[in-house]
Amino acid sequence: MDAFFVLFSGYLVFFMQCGFCMLCAGSVRGKNAKNVILKNLLDTCFGALGWYVMGYGLAFGETANEFLGESSFALRDVPHRVYSNWMFQYAFAATATTIVSGAVAERTKFEAYLVYAFFLTSWVYPVVAHWIWAHTGWLTAFKVFSADLFNGTGVIDFAGCGVVHMVGGLSGLAGAWMVGPRLGRFDADGKPREIPGHSASLALLGVFILWFGWYGFNPGSALAIVGASDVAALCAVNTTLAASAGSISALLLSMIISYYVSGNIVWDVIGAGNGALAGLVSITASCSVVQPWAALIIGFIGGFVYVASSNFVLHVLKVDDPLDAIAVHAFCGMWGLVAAGSFADDALLRSSYPALLDDSNQPVSRNYGWVMGGDGKLLVSAVTGIVAILGWVLFHMVPFFAGLKLVGLLRVLPEQEHEGLDISHHGGSAYPKEMVRSGSWGSAHGGEAYIK
Amino acid sequence: MAGVLEPHGLGRAVLQGEEEREMEIRLEPRQGQLANDLDILWLLLAAYLVFFMQCGFALLEVGSVRAKNTKNILLKNVVDACIGAVVWYAWGHSFAHGENGDGSNAFIGGTNFFMHNSKDISPDEQDKASGFNNANPYFAFWMFQWAFAATAATIVSGAVAERCQFRAYIVYTFVITGFVYPIVVHWVWSKEGWLSAFRVDENANGEEEPDVVFDKSLGMIDFAGSGVVHMTGGGAALLAATIIGPRYGRFDKDGMVQALVGQSPALATLGTFILWFGWYGFNPGSTLVFYEHMYVASKCAVNTTLSAAGGGLMTLFIDTVVFSNPPDISPILNGLLAGLVSITAGCASVEPYGALIIGCCGGAIYYTASKTLKKLLIDDPLDASPVHFFCGIWGVISVGLFATPANVMNTYDRKPDVGIFYGGDGHQLGVQILGALTIGLWTCTISFIMFWTLRSLGILRVSQDQELTGLDISRHGGAAFTYGGDDSANITSANAVTALQMQPVK
Repeated sequence: MDAFFVLFSGYLVFFMQCGFCMLCAGSVRGKNAKNVILKNLLDTCFGALGWYVMGYGLAFGETANEFLGESSFALRDVPHRVYSNWMFQYAFAATATTIVSGAVAERTKFEAYLVYAFFLTSWVYPVVAHWIWAHTGWLTAFKVFSADLFNGTGVIDFAGCGVVHMVGGLSGLAGAWMVGPRLGRFDADGKPREIPGHSASLALLGVFILWFGWYGFNPGSALAIVGASDVAALCAVNTTLAASAGSISALLLSMIISYYVSGNIVWDVIGAGNGALAGLVSITASCSVVQPWAALIIGFIGGFVYVASSNFVLHVLKVDDPLDAIAVHAFCGMWGLVAAGSFADDALLRSSYPALLDDSNQPVSRNYGWVMGGDGKLLVSAVTGIVAILGWVLFHMVPFFAGLKLVGLLRVLPEQEHEGLDISHHGGSAYPKEMVRSGSWGSAHGGEAYIK
Repeated sequence: MAGVLEPHGLGRAVLQGEEEREMEIRLEPRQGQLANDLDILWLLLAAYLVFFMQCGFALLEVGSVRAKNTKNILLKNVVDACIGAVVWYAWGHSFAHGENGDGSNAFIGGTNFFMHNSKDISPDEQDKASGFNNANPYFAFWMFQWAFAATAATIVSGAVAERCQFRAYIVYTFVITGFVYPIVVHWVWSKEGWLSAFRVDENANGEEEPDVVFDKSLGMIDFAGSGVVHMTGGGAALLAATIIGPRYGRFDKDGMVQALVGQSPALATLGTFILWFGWYGFNPGSTLVFYEHMYVASKCAVNTTLSAAGGGLMTLFIDTVVFSNPPDISPILNGLLAGLVSITAGCASVEPYGALIIGCCGGAIYYTASKTLKKLLIDDPLDASPVHFFCGIWGVISVGLFATPANVMNTYDRKPDVGIFYGGDGHQLGVQILGALTIGLWTCTISFIMFWTLRSLGILRVSQDQELTGLDISRHGGAAFTYGGDDSANITSANAVTALQMQPVK
């Protein structure tokens, strides 16, 4: 039963690959649709390879030290009954990897992206997963004796704010920074110009599929259903509430900002969609250990974090991120870890995490969040985790992308970028000319259905 | 080390690796750990499927409206799921299912607002002490009910598409998920509701016995919500479409219908398939429990399938043979949905051939209602009210005709009366009609008041300029689609800016 639950949750998380693919496709210009779709498709595949060869072993190897796993490479000596775990964890690894496709979209060489995908799933990601999710990891909360826990608490990251979203988002930051902004993104004075995506329907289809798949991502991280269904059900409720609150707060905030800036009220659908994702990311660390009212707050603040960091990345860091992947994943991932360290509830920690023993084998309760009355140790551990992940990921990914850039393997030629990567690299446009009728999109009497 | 591990909850798989689970899983029906957990898992999976129908309906709507209103309809679909969740959390679920409290009665629920009552939402302490992790189904049930509430609310967006103001939409989402819908749920699905088939009372011996309206009936049978969900949403949709008025150009001066063709049959079809797929959570999931109910659930799935097929094929037949049109996608998609709506009340009470007939009738009723609304100069862009309201009524009534003794006994454990085609004497049919009448009156009355008020305040419909330009450019920062390999993205964004500058929004 547990294996079925883990497998099914893994299928849902896998379906998020489709969701992110659609989100990417809709958010880039029509001339680059095939390219970003292919990148998404192939990071799913290359990710599987990397996870099989090295990733799973490094993350969850049967023998391991505090830093990384040392066995189970290429599924060697892994009993079949653990294969459901391999599949589930692969889906998570593929999620982290695919985030970057959004950040580097529309100007990155295809080959560079494939090499990156293999590198992330085979080395950078699994080590972080080991730290936080393997019971030998130095940051993990899954220990038996409280004395073994880092800072006496470990890092609470139930479904992967740090492990998945920070790793993916920060890799996206490194990639987007190194590859540079798209042509025309910043004008001659350095002011950003909007480059809207070509299909809001595909983008929102992607958002809905991601939200749907998140019901595998969060509740599935209980890794069991027998004896754990209460944990799974609470995760599902918290996931729902955080997504909703994030969407509403991002929508409201972006509406207020646009009114302030231009005097017009604009209800931004992409903002609402990304806001839902921001809420979903924010609750990912704490979905099993916070009360529903806290999930609303965490999601709501997540929407704010998304809007603020999106502006920060664009206007301050001057990094071009076509999907706002860095804002949604890296920054909301960090907020999610902080939220877990702040709102984690005493009783819920006990029911979601294994029992803890002190030196004399007596049960001892876990440190819980300061908002709920606990001390600050859990928050300190969360911040340490953030710093460790930041350091590890940027230390690898910045030189990695810089190295590719140095040998000219990172960015496509300007002419190719201008023409569109589909025509220059993928054999032709995703949209045949006869499907596109110029001028009828905004016509007063509606256009004809373009497929009819 | 293994001996001191408390076998419980998360991390066990990680910690114990390939060690066997230490806790015994007893398989006593309905009592054991596994049974509890399976019930919850069943509800959760069904909830996820029903949630995915939000995506399906979004795509169906996008495909059915013109491109210039794409972003508007997408945003409405996202927002009604989100507002629905917050409202359902705050008081919706309580109005619907808050039972046995001081504030609750046969009309409305009144306990556990904002999930504040830990007694209602926490695992049972006694069961925990005996070594089980009693899986309180509250949260899983909340998930399932929220997904249904979001479904009811989103139906209305189809009726007011392409000309409704965003703030009107927010207002009516609040009212529908927070008031209109939960009260109907309470009537029909709670243990206290006056129409409910689950209403019980203590008799002279202190035992619980059914206490339904019309003693010789089962109370209203509405297994997954033809009445509760589809009539409620569809009734609101009907009133909304009537009060907001037809889209500009929909009817010419002679009252002839002008086709305002949707932009993408592909997206509409994808959306419909996703809706059909999600319906397998909607109908079979309404068993609410897993153990001993999988026979009913699987029969529901079959009935759902046949009714959808019947609706689609019947509509195809009427459209092509009776009215001599070339086979077209849009009527058949709606016919499918009509069949699905029609079986939603009776999926656990009818035989498969009955489901097929019910679906065919649903398709015919949809087609008739759609044509009639057009004759009455009511513009319902997605045919939301023909599909949901009128087929919802049919779905509710069909139970009083087609419910068989064996199925009713299997699903409800008693059969005071059955469908009149199977020897019933009309009591059940009477309750079904009563239920349809009251739900219809309730939703139409409140909706009339609400939409009329919104219209009087001038916040229901957008201005004609905005409607002609398209809601995306006038309200949502630019067109949804920006094709073109020559950086026409720049042109579009410039258009958006120009459009915004030319039309300062009030």
